[in-house]
Amino acid sequence: MAYNLIQTQTVSTAVPSITFSSIPQGYTDLYLVISARSSFATGSVSDLYVYFNGTTTGYTSRWLQGNGASASSSTSTAPADPLVTMANVAANTFNSVSVYIPNYAGSANKSYTLDDVTEDNSTTAYQRIVASLWSNTAAITSLTVSEANGANLVTGSTASLYGIN
Amino acid sequence: MANSHVLISSQTLGSTATSVTFSSISGAYRDLRLVITGTTTTSTVDAIILQFNGDTGSNYSVVYATGDGTSATSATQATTYLSSGVIGTSQSVSTIDIMDYAQADKHKTTLVRGNTPAWGTRMIAGRWASTAAITSIVVKTEAALTFSAGDSFYLYGVLG
Repeated sequence: MAYNLIQTQTVSTAVPSITFSSIPQGYTDLYLVISARSSFATGSVSDLYVYFNGTTTGYTSRWLQGNGASASSSTSTAPADPLVTMANVAANTFNSVSVYIPNYAGSANKSYTLDDVTEDNSTTAYQRIVASLWSNTAAITSLTVSEANGANLVTGSTASLYGIN
Repeated sequence: MANSHVLISSQTLGSTATSVTFSSISGAYRDLRLVITGTTTTSTVDAIILQFNGDTGSNYSVVYATGDGTSATSATQATTYLSSGVIGTSQSVSTIDIMDYAQADKHKTTLVRGNTPAWGTRMIAGRWASTAAITSIVVKTEAALTFSAGDSFYLYGVLG
Protein backbone atom coordinates (compact mmCIF):
# COMPACT_ATOMS: atom_id res chain seq x y z
CA MET A 1 0.00 0.00 0.00
CA ALA A 2 2.03 2.85 -1.28
CA TYR A 3 0.59 6.31 -0.79
CA ASN A 4 1.39 8.31 -3.90
CA LEU A 5 0.79 12.03 -3.70
CA ILE A 6 -1.36 13.04 -6.67
CA GLN A 7 -1.63 16.70 -5.74
CA THR A 8 -1.66 19.12 -2.82
CA GLN A 9 -3.63 22.34 -3.11
CA THR A 10 -3.04 25.23 -0.71
CA VAL A 11 -5.42 28.16 -0.61
CA SER A 12 -3.45 31.38 -1.11
CA THR A 13 -6.51 33.58 -1.68
CA ALA A 14 -9.86 32.66 -0.11
CA VAL A 15 -11.97 30.49 -2.42
CA PRO A 16 -15.31 28.68 -2.04
CA SER A 17 -13.97 25.32 -3.19
CA ILE A 18 -10.98 23.21 -4.21
CA THR A 19 -11.20 20.72 -7.08
CA PHE A 20 -8.96 17.83 -8.08
CA SER A 21 -9.65 17.03 -11.69
CA SER A 22 -8.41 14.37 -14.11
CA ILE A 23 -7.68 11.96 -11.25
CA PRO A 24 -5.50 9.09 -12.54
CA GLN A 25 -7.37 5.77 -12.67
CA GLY A 26 -4.41 3.50 -12.02
CA TYR A 27 -4.63 3.22 -8.23
CA THR A 28 -6.66 0.91 -6.03
CA ASP A 29 -7.97 3.49 -3.55
CA LEU A 30 -7.90 7.23 -2.89
CA TYR A 31 -7.01 8.99 0.36
CA LEU A 32 -7.86 12.66 0.89
CA VAL A 33 -6.52 14.79 3.75
CA ILE A 34 -8.06 18.22 4.44
CA SER A 35 -7.01 21.01 6.79
CA ALA A 36 -9.54 23.81 6.40
CA ARG A 37 -11.08 26.85 8.02
CA SER A 38 -14.20 28.65 6.86
CA SER A 39 -14.90 32.37 6.58
CA PHE A 40 -18.49 31.69 7.67
CA ALA A 41 -19.06 33.53 10.96
CA THR A 42 -22.39 32.30 12.32
CA GLY A 43 -22.14 29.65 15.03
CA SER A 44 -19.10 27.64 15.98
CA VAL A 45 -18.83 25.21 13.08
CA SER A 46 -19.86 25.08 9.45
CA ASP A 47 -19.95 22.23 6.98
CA LEU A 48 -17.79 21.10 4.12
CA TYR A 49 -19.02 19.16 1.16
CA VAL A 50 -16.86 16.54 -0.52
CA TYR A 51 -18.38 15.45 -3.82
CA PHE A 52 -17.36 13.57 -6.93
CA ASN A 53 -17.46 14.22 -10.67
CA GLY A 54 -19.19 17.55 -10.11
CA THR A 55 -22.30 15.76 -8.83
CA THR A 56 -23.96 16.82 -5.56
CA THR A 57 -26.76 14.25 -5.57
CA GLY A 58 -26.92 10.56 -4.68
CA TYR A 59 -25.14 10.78 -1.33
CA THR A 60 -26.21 9.25 1.97
CA SER A 61 -24.29 9.09 5.22
CA ARG A 62 -24.65 8.10 8.85
CA TRP A 63 -22.34 9.43 11.47
CA LEU A 64 -21.32 9.02 15.06
CA GLN A 65 -20.23 12.19 16.82
CA GLY A 66 -18.79 13.23 20.16
CA ASN A 67 -18.57 16.84 21.31
CA GLY A 68 -16.75 16.50 24.60
CA ALA A 69 -19.98 16.13 26.56
CA SER A 70 -22.15 13.58 24.78
CA ALA A 71 -22.33 11.19 21.83
CA SER A 72 -24.95 11.33 19.12
CA SER A 73 -25.76 9.92 15.71
CA SER A 74 -27.62 11.22 12.70
CA THR A 75 -28.01 10.92 8.94
CA SER A 76 -27.40 13.22 6.02
CA THR A 77 -28.00 13.32 2.29
CA ALA A 78 -25.43 16.08 1.82
CA PRO A 79 -22.21 15.15 0.03
CA ALA A 80 -19.95 13.67 2.74
CA ASP A 81 -20.60 16.54 5.19
CA PRO A 82 -17.58 16.91 7.48
CA LEU A 83 -17.54 19.85 9.88
CA VAL A 84 -15.19 22.76 9.39
CA THR A 85 -13.77 25.23 11.87
CA MET A 86 -15.33 28.68 11.72
CA ALA A 87 -14.08 32.21 11.30
CA ASN A 88 -15.23 33.35 14.73
CA VAL A 89 -13.34 30.81 16.85
CA ALA A 90 -9.73 30.84 18.04
CA ALA A 91 -7.34 32.17 15.43
CA ASN A 92 -5.12 29.77 13.51
CA THR A 93 -7.31 26.74 14.22
CA PHE A 94 -8.30 24.49 11.32
CA ASN A 95 -10.26 21.26 11.09
CA SER A 96 -8.65 17.94 10.16
CA VAL A 97 -10.39 15.50 7.84
CA SER A 98 -9.38 12.22 6.25
CA VAL A 99 -11.43 10.46 3.59
CA TYR A 100 -10.66 6.90 2.47
CA ILE A 101 -12.28 5.88 -0.83
CA PRO A 102 -11.73 2.23 -1.81
CA ASN A 103 -12.28 1.02 -5.38
CA TYR A 104 -12.82 4.56 -6.65
CA ALA A 105 -12.31 3.48 -10.26
CA GLY A 106 -14.65 0.48 -10.06
CA SER A 107 -18.18 0.06 -11.31
CA ALA A 108 -19.88 -0.46 -7.94
CA ASN A 109 -21.47 2.27 -5.85
CA LYS A 110 -18.78 4.13 -3.90
CA SER A 111 -18.72 3.43 -0.17
CA TYR A 112 -16.18 5.44 1.77
CA THR A 113 -15.02 6.36 5.24
CA LEU A 114 -14.55 9.84 6.69
CA ASP A 115 -12.97 11.00 9.95
CA ASP A 116 -13.27 14.61 11.07
CA VAL A 117 -12.20 16.72 14.04
CA THR A 118 -12.58 20.38 14.90
CA GLU A 119 -10.58 21.56 17.88
CA ASP A 120 -10.58 25.29 18.51
CA ASN A 121 -9.55 25.56 22.16
CA SER A 122 -13.15 26.14 23.26
CA THR A 123 -15.41 24.16 25.55
CA THR A 124 -17.07 22.31 22.70
CA ALA A 125 -15.13 20.52 20.02
CA TYR A 126 -16.29 17.83 17.67
CA GLN A 127 -15.07 14.45 16.54
CA ARG A 128 -17.12 12.68 13.90
CA ILE A 129 -16.81 9.36 12.08
CA VAL A 130 -18.93 8.95 8.98
CA ALA A 131 -20.10 6.08 6.79
CA SER A 132 -20.85 7.53 3.38
CA LEU A 133 -22.20 6.16 0.14
CA TRP A 134 -22.32 7.74 -3.29
CA SER A 135 -24.94 5.73 -5.17
CA ASN A 136 -23.26 6.07 -8.51
CA THR A 137 -21.37 3.46 -10.48
CA ALA A 138 -19.18 5.91 -12.41
CA ALA A 139 -15.46 5.93 -11.81
CA ILE A 140 -14.39 8.94 -9.76
CA THR A 141 -12.45 11.27 -12.03
CA SER A 142 -12.77 14.53 -10.09
CA LEU A 143 -13.22 15.49 -6.46
CA THR A 144 -14.36 18.82 -4.99
CA VAL A 145 -14.06 20.16 -1.45
CA SER A 146 -16.58 22.97 -0.99
CA GLU A 147 -17.64 25.27 1.84
CA ALA A 148 -21.29 24.35 2.31
CA ASN A 149 -22.76 27.67 3.45
CA GLY A 150 -21.62 29.83 0.60
CA ALA A 151 -18.58 31.14 2.43
CA ASN A 152 -14.91 30.67 1.58
CA LEU A 153 -12.09 28.40 2.57
CA VAL A 154 -9.59 30.79 4.09
CA THR A 155 -5.94 31.28 3.21
CA GLY A 156 -3.83 28.41 4.52
CA SER A 157 -6.49 25.75 3.99
CA THR A 158 -5.00 22.68 2.29
CA ALA A 159 -6.16 19.49 0.64
CA SER A 160 -3.90 16.62 -0.39
CA LEU A 161 -5.04 13.73 -2.56
CA TYR A 162 -3.16 10.42 -2.54
CA GLY A 163 -3.49 7.38 -4.76
CA ILE A 164 -3.01 4.05 -2.99
CA ASN A 165 -1.66 0.95 -4.70
CA MET B 1 3.60 9.14 2.80
CA ALA B 2 6.17 6.39 2.37
CA ASN B 3 5.51 2.96 0.98
CA SER B 4 4.89 1.48 4.42
CA HIS B 5 2.22 -1.05 3.46
CA VAL B 6 3.03 -4.14 1.41
CA LEU B 7 0.26 -6.12 -0.26
CA ILE B 8 0.45 -9.68 1.07
CA SER B 9 -2.60 -11.06 -0.67
CA SER B 10 -5.81 -9.90 -2.29
CA GLN B 11 -8.94 -11.86 -3.07
CA THR B 12 -11.81 -10.61 -5.21
CA LEU B 13 -14.67 -13.07 -5.20
CA GLY B 14 -15.63 -14.49 -8.58
CA SER B 15 -18.72 -16.04 -7.03
CA THR B 16 -20.51 -15.89 -3.71
CA ALA B 17 -18.76 -17.33 -0.65
CA THR B 18 -19.44 -17.71 3.05
CA SER B 19 -15.82 -17.34 4.11
CA VAL B 20 -12.45 -16.08 2.94
CA THR B 21 -9.16 -17.39 4.29
CA PHE B 22 -5.67 -15.93 4.34
CA SER B 23 -3.12 -18.58 5.23
CA SER B 24 0.66 -18.87 5.61
CA ILE B 25 0.91 -15.21 6.58
CA SER B 26 4.52 -14.13 6.82
CA GLY B 27 5.73 -12.82 10.18
CA ALA B 28 7.97 -10.26 8.50
CA TYR B 29 5.86 -7.18 9.21
CA ARG B 30 5.02 -5.08 12.25
CA ASP B 31 1.23 -4.96 11.83
CA LEU B 32 -1.42 -6.16 9.44
CA ARG B 33 -4.16 -4.16 7.70
CA LEU B 34 -7.19 -5.89 6.20
CA VAL B 35 -9.51 -3.88 3.91
CA ILE B 36 -12.89 -5.42 3.03
CA THR B 37 -15.35 -3.87 0.58
CA GLY B 38 -18.57 -5.29 -0.74
CA THR B 39 -22.02 -6.52 0.19
CA THR B 40 -23.87 -9.51 1.52
CA THR B 41 -26.68 -11.05 -0.44
CA THR B 42 -29.30 -11.68 2.21
CA SER B 43 -29.39 -9.19 5.07
CA THR B 44 -29.48 -5.46 5.73
CA VAL B 45 -26.43 -5.67 7.98
CA ASP B 46 -24.31 -8.17 9.84
CA ALA B 47 -21.01 -8.12 11.70
CA ILE B 48 -17.86 -9.21 9.93
CA ILE B 49 -16.00 -11.66 12.16
CA LEU B 50 -12.43 -12.98 12.22
CA GLN B 51 -10.82 -16.08 13.67
CA PHE B 52 -7.06 -16.42 13.91
CA ASN B 53 -5.01 -19.61 13.46
CA GLY B 54 -8.17 -21.72 13.47
CA ASP B 55 -8.92 -20.84 17.09
CA THR B 56 -12.65 -21.39 17.75
CA GLY B 57 -12.39 -21.04 21.53
CA SER B 58 -13.85 -18.27 23.67
CA ASN B 59 -10.74 -16.15 23.38
CA TYR B 60 -12.00 -13.05 21.62
CA SER B 61 -13.36 -9.82 23.09
CA VAL B 62 -14.32 -6.39 21.77
CA VAL B 63 -15.70 -3.04 22.86
CA TYR B 64 -17.45 -0.96 20.24
CA ALA B 65 -19.41 2.23 19.59
CA THR B 66 -22.07 2.48 16.91
CA GLY B 67 -23.96 5.30 15.27
CA ASP B 68 -26.98 4.15 13.28
CA GLY B 69 -28.24 7.55 12.29
CA THR B 70 -30.60 7.77 15.23
CA SER B 71 -28.65 6.99 18.38
CA ALA B 72 -25.12 6.40 19.63
CA THR B 73 -24.57 3.17 21.53
CA SER B 74 -21.70 1.19 22.97
CA ALA B 75 -21.35 -2.43 24.10
CA THR B 76 -18.90 -5.24 24.72
CA GLN B 77 -18.77 -8.80 23.43
CA ALA B 78 -16.72 -11.81 24.51
CA THR B 79 -17.15 -14.89 22.37
CA THR B 80 -15.57 -17.38 19.96
CA TYR B 81 -14.76 -14.86 17.23
CA LEU B 82 -13.62 -11.27 16.86
CA SER B 83 -16.23 -8.82 15.63
CA SER B 84 -14.32 -6.77 13.07
CA GLY B 85 -16.57 -4.63 10.93
CA VAL B 86 -19.99 -4.54 9.35
CA ILE B 87 -21.41 -5.46 5.97
CA GLY B 88 -24.86 -5.24 4.44
CA THR B 89 -26.74 -5.07 1.21
CA SER B 90 -25.50 -1.53 0.61
CA GLN B 91 -21.89 -1.20 -0.47
CA SER B 92 -19.83 -1.46 2.72
CA VAL B 93 -16.24 -0.94 3.76
CA SER B 94 -14.32 -2.12 6.81
CA THR B 95 -10.68 -1.46 7.70
CA ILE B 96 -9.04 -3.67 10.31
CA ASP B 97 -5.62 -2.92 11.82
CA ILE B 98 -4.05 -5.86 13.67
CA MET B 99 -1.18 -4.72 15.88
CA ASP B 100 2.02 -6.66 16.56
CA TYR B 101 0.47 -9.75 15.00
CA ALA B 102 3.75 -11.68 14.92
CA GLN B 103 4.86 -10.96 18.50
CA ALA B 104 4.87 -14.03 20.77
CA ASP B 105 4.73 -12.16 24.09
CA LYS B 106 1.42 -10.32 23.91
CA HIS B 107 -2.26 -10.73 23.21
CA LYS B 108 -3.22 -9.39 19.78
CA THR B 109 -5.23 -6.18 19.57
CA THR B 110 -7.23 -4.67 16.72
CA LEU B 111 -8.64 -1.29 15.75
CA VAL B 112 -11.55 -1.38 13.32
CA ARG B 113 -13.76 0.99 11.35
CA GLY B 114 -16.83 -0.56 9.76
CA ASN B 115 -19.31 1.26 7.53
CA THR B 116 -22.57 0.14 6.02
CA PRO B 117 -24.01 3.44 4.85
CA ALA B 118 -27.62 2.25 4.79
CA TRP B 119 -27.25 1.16 8.41
CA GLY B 120 -24.51 3.07 10.19
CA THR B 121 -20.90 3.25 11.29
CA ARG B 122 -19.03 1.38 14.01
CA MET B 123 -15.59 1.63 15.63
CA ILE B 124 -14.23 -1.39 17.45
CA ALA B 125 -11.31 -2.21 19.71
CA GLY B 126 -10.64 -5.95 19.84
CA ARG B 127 -8.39 -8.45 21.59
CA TRP B 128 -7.45 -12.06 20.85
CA ALA B 129 -6.28 -13.65 24.09
CA SER B 130 -3.36 -15.54 22.60
CA THR B 131 0.37 -14.97 22.45
CA ALA B 132 0.71 -17.00 19.25
CA ALA B 133 1.85 -15.23 16.11
CA ILE B 134 -1.02 -14.89 13.65
CA THR B 135 -0.39 -17.04 10.60
CA SER B 136 -3.91 -17.41 9.25
CA ILE B 137 -7.15 -15.43 9.23
CA VAL B 138 -10.65 -16.62 8.41
CA VAL B 139 -13.24 -13.98 7.52
CA LYS B 140 -16.97 -14.68 7.87
CA THR B 141 -20.10 -12.87 8.95
CA GLU B 142 -21.62 -13.39 12.36
CA ALA B 143 -24.86 -14.90 10.98
CA ALA B 144 -22.99 -16.96 8.36
CA LEU B 145 -24.30 -14.81 5.53
CA THR B 146 -22.96 -14.94 2.00
CA PHE B 147 -20.41 -12.52 0.60
CA SER B 148 -21.31 -11.33 -2.90
CA ALA B 149 -19.39 -11.89 -6.12
CA GLY B 150 -17.07 -8.94 -6.58
CA ASP B 151 -16.42 -8.42 -2.87
CA SER B 152 -12.74 -7.67 -2.26
CA PHE B 153 -10.40 -8.57 0.59
CA TYR B 154 -6.96 -6.96 0.70
CA LEU B 155 -4.39 -7.97 3.32
CA TYR B 156 -1.39 -5.68 3.80
CA GLY B 157 1.72 -6.02 5.90
CA VAL B 158 2.76 -2.81 7.64
CA LEU B 159 6.47 -2.14 7.89
CA GLY B 160 7.83 -0.72 11.10
